[in-house]
Amino acid sequence: MKFSYSWLCEHLETDKNANEIGDALTNIGLELESLSDYSSYSKFVVATIKDFKKHPNADRLNICKVDDGADTYQVICGANNVKKGLKGIFAKEGMYIPGTQMNLKKGKIRGETSEGMLLSERELNLSDDHEGIIELSENFKNGTSAVEALKLDDPIFEIGITPNRGDCLSIRGVARDLSAKGMGKLKPLKYEKIKKLEFESPISWSIKNDDNSCEYVVSRYFKDVNNTKSPEWLQKKLISLGLRPINALVDITNFVTVDLGRPLHVFDADKVGKKLDMRLANSNEKILALDNKDYTLDVNSTVIADSNNALAIAGIIGGDHSGCTENTKNVFLEVAIFNPNRVAKTGRSLGINSDARYRFERGLDKNMVLEGLEYASYLINKICGGSVSKNTDAGKLDTNEHKIKYDFNYFNKVIGLDLEPQIQVKILKDLEFQINERSDNECDVLVPSWRNDVKNNIDIVEEIIRIYGYDNINVSVPSSSKDEINNVENSLVNKKFKTISKLKKTLVSNGISEVITFSFHSNRAQEILTGNTSLKISNAISDDQSFMRNSMIFNHLESAELNFKKGIKNIQLFEIGPIYNSSQSQENILSLLISSQDHTNSIYKSVNFNFYSLTELASKLISSLNFDIKQFNISRSTSNIYHPGQSAEVHMGKKLIARYGKVHPLIMEEFPKLKNTYAIELLFENLPIESISRINSINISDSQFQFSEKDFSFIFEKQQNLYEVQRYVTGIDKNLIKNVEFFDLYESKNLGDTSKSVTFRVTIQSKEKTLEEKDLEQLHKNILEKVSNKFKAKIRT
Amino acid sequence: MDINKVLNEATKEIEESSNQLDLQNVKVAYLGKKGKITELLKSLKDLSLDEKKSTGAELNQLRNEVDNLIKSKFNQIKVEEINSKLRNESLDYSFPPPNSISPKVHPISKTFDEVITIFGSMGYSVAEGPDIETDYFNFSALNIPENHPAREMQDTFYIDDKDKDGKPFVLRTHTSPVQIRTLLNEKPPVKIIAPGRTYRCDSDSTHSPMFHQVEGLFINENANMGDLKGTLIEFCKQFFNVQDLKVRFRPSYFPFTEPSAEMDIAYEIVNNKIKLGQGDRWLEILGCGMVNPIVLENCNVDTKNFQGFAFGMGLDRITMLKYGLTDIRSFFSGNLNWIANNGFSIGDF
Repeated sequence: MKFSYSWLCEHLETDKNANEIGDALTNIGLELESLSDYSSYSKFVVATIKDFKKHPNADRLNICKVDDGADTYQVICGANNVKKGLKGIFAKEGMYIPGTQMNLKKGKIRGETSEGMLLSERELNLSDDHEGIIELSENFKNGTSAVEALKLDDPIFEIGITPNRGDCLSIRGVARDLSAKGMGKLKPLKYEKIKKLEFESPISWSIKNDDNSCEYVVSRYFKDVNNTKSPEWLQKKLISLGLRPINALVDITNFVTVDLGRPLHVFDADKVGKKLDMRLANSNEKILALDNKDYTLDVNSTVIADSNNALAIAGIIGGDHSGCTENTKNVFLEVAIFNPNRVAKTGRSLGINSDARYRFERGLDKNMVLEGLEYASYLINKICGGSVSKNTDAGKLDTNEHKIKYDFNYFNKVIGLDLEPQIQVKILKDLEFQINERSDNECDVLVPSWRNDVKNNIDIVEEIIRIYGYDNINVSVPSSSKDEINNVENSLVNKKFKTISKLKKTLVSNGISEVITFSFHSNRAQEILTGNTSLKISNAISDDQSFMRNSMIFNHLESAELNFKKGIKNIQLFEIGPIYNSSQSQENILSLLISSQDHTNSIYKSVNFNFYSLTELASKLISSLNFDIKQFNISRSTSNIYHPGQSAEVHMGKKLIARYGKVHPLIMEEFPKLKNTYAIELLFENLPIESISRINSINISDSQFQFSEKDFSFIFEKQQNLYEVQRYVTGIDKNLIKNVEFFDLYESKNLGDTSKSVTFRVTIQSKEKTLEEKDLEQLHKNILEKVSNKFKAKIRT
Repeated sequence: MDINKVLNEATKEIEESSNQLDLQNVKVAYLGKKGKITELLKSLKDLSLDEKKSTGAELNQLRNEVDNLIKSKFNQIKVEEINSKLRNESLDYSFPPPNSISPKVHPISKTFDEVITIFGSMGYSVAEGPDIETDYFNFSALNIPENHPAREMQDTFYIDDKDKDGKPFVLRTHTSPVQIRTLLNEKPPVKIIAPGRTYRCDSDSTHSPMFHQVEGLFINENANMGDLKGTLIEFCKQFFNVQDLKVRFRPSYFPFTEPSAEMDIAYEIVNNKIKLGQGDRWLEILGCGMVNPIVLENCNVDTKNFQGFAFGMGLDRITMLKYGLTDIRSFFSGNLNWIANNGFSIGDF
């Protein structure tokens, strides 16, 4: 909210300057967002155009002789309001112009010297007006500073009002809060009640079928008014807030809204019927509002209507048809209390953000209904003349004031500060809370009518500390207890984050960079990966971010493509983050992508990355979590992310632990620039966290006796899972067979389509002795027989 | 017999040998079974005892000298041969390697790690909650009723799918729903932080539709606002590594805390860069407050005996402030150059 220092001072008698007020505002929770300070504008001065002539080389420019009281300057000016005798604001060469954010250079414009500039409002950052240069009244002496001439000595505050403080959406409300902080004294409102309410209002109210959306409405009828332009004081006030003056009646309602926080509405009484209703809108009822837009209402909105039409959307905006113009002769002023919920809901569904809605949905001061009526009546009558009717109303104003039993010790317990009851009471009284039934420990607090937000003991505590000052709260650092530290150490989530850090270190030391991408992916990704369609984001920013991702693969391919376009040829990246299976199931996984495009360097030949390199990397990652890939069940992947012939899945029981492979060519069609692209997904949350966090976990047997190696070649069926063979061979003699390493795979036409030849090396070593030849031969024979029997494999010689 | 003559001849022949084979031949010719020196030694047996003694000594000396000369020449030849072989194996050290991008950890990961460590040392365990939340956990349970203006403080993403109350799921707009989930699951005392992803439909250089927050919650019999101030000041000192840290707490409003506060850190501009800790400008760091008893009651916590505080801060924001980064969108762009420039190598992680 915006207001000027002088306007504030109409409500607050204060000896504090603008900076002190600004600090106090922030300290009481009305955060100062900006305080305009135009003191630097004193270097700009009033100057007169003594004479001017057309620029010889440019039709639209003039060469002006400008007198600033001390000297005369030649100024080239392009404004269309240049005339002899005009008084404007002058900036000399070298001065900083705030609106253009540049220093004014001395120079020639189309061959003619220019020694300064006559300024527009935009060049002074006062408004967007750049139609012409500023024109001042002739009374100003040349050389007078711009601050004085433009009355910029009145600082403008802009403050942020939190949603609970509807009472401060008015200058009076802010002044009231400042006075509680000791920044001055709240002045009484200056107005006079209309002495003679001369007649019954010809228009009357009824509230019916409105579903409790209007609690109370009161009105007056103004006869024979003269709706002219507002007086200068009123126009200036509105302009200072950035509002556009329209006509006196409209300006008065805007003024009262800002000054007292009391929205009101004026109808042109000759454009509405004699009986007005507060009622729910009809389905598809239409109204052209004052913002010149057509709105279609539904049965949840409340309207003000006569027997023919909806005239206004209650608490939100008036109708265009019934609005006041300069021809308005008779006026019907409406002041009401509407249900904040309904105003909020209607406003949101229609997308209307009006000053009235903003205030109604934050709750209004019910005691301000009649005072607002009097205040507006006084202004209308004073500015527009005419005569005023008696009140006409409907509904019942429920001003039941809220009472809270307050415990003084509660403050001390919550805030950690012993504040004596009399200080607490003083602050509450300064805030115009009434204190009754006070005892040593507690009292009854009567909440003022404008503080709808104060409902409980804790709200009272907040009021007291807000005014007493957060700076005065003692700082203490609670020490951590043994129990707490144990909890941290034993927490499964802490362990999970440690696992994640460990994985990150492993990945980075393998040359892979971490990225973080959005939890969303595109429509296209959703289509191709066939994720859960109920995970569509209803109000997505774009089609590229329209679904919650069920895989990171698309985001990572997009990232790879971006990096490829930046000239990075070998892309290795990973992300550890969530993927979403349904609205109630998400899991953190590791997803990595390797896309190597560049093999042109004949000197530094890196081994072409392939499925087997990927398998090795997957195995390394699993090892870093204290597991051995060979422990798990490994099979072809059925995921549509991967090439069906170059991929695998790792399971522990039914749980998927990892899957990896070359990215499916159908997906890669979307990324034609990328070649040779592989991915691994590690679902580390499916591994038992206790095993991952064990410190000494690998158990390698070590023997000092001589070892022996023997190679075996078999022809297996092509489908044979070699991990199974490896496990089987290892199990033939657990004491002696130390290692089984596969190192050759051969497929050829000679072997037929259904066979493969595989060679592995068995390392044999005893922990007890050096084995003799005959022991070894027996074991070799055993391996040959058992493997060929078990897997129907042919021994290859 | 002229021992010197033999020595001279042998020395000359050794010197002239240019490879191992020649030298071997010389060795045989002098020290072999029928070599000149061997023959001379054999002839000793014909001499008298006295002569044997003196000549024998001279001959032995001769044999040792020749033997040493051969050994030393042999070493010399071997070194030359190896050197000549190594010369042939020479590679071009000046051929530059291909450019590679240095792998790094994302700066947010470093912040996660530090936040968990600092709060861990203060006794805060890590807790979690889902990104896709129910309307109830994200709003209502936190005292943000429907149609309340506070809902419009945050621009919410909605999911097509609806929860059991028939309301669309939301992408959590803050990490605060973890407060509710934790309090419903655990009896106080509760001391947790909950870092994670959060979402608001907003996108410019300071807003990203996805960002990160950390929530903190401490509920026990007497945790008060002074403890809240102390905890957060201590965190900021450690995280920003500034011991002399000027801060201010000012009243604010969050429906789920009462009283509520925002914490600002003082800063100044030195050489066009933000320097945190001192100065007369303020940067907003986080929101916090005493947990509103309404929220505790929503979680069935006995408010007669338990109270406490909560806080929430933007992890991207504190990362940007700490390392002087300016555009939050680059955090999530997947640009590896950006990661290489702004990330951390494992030694620093």
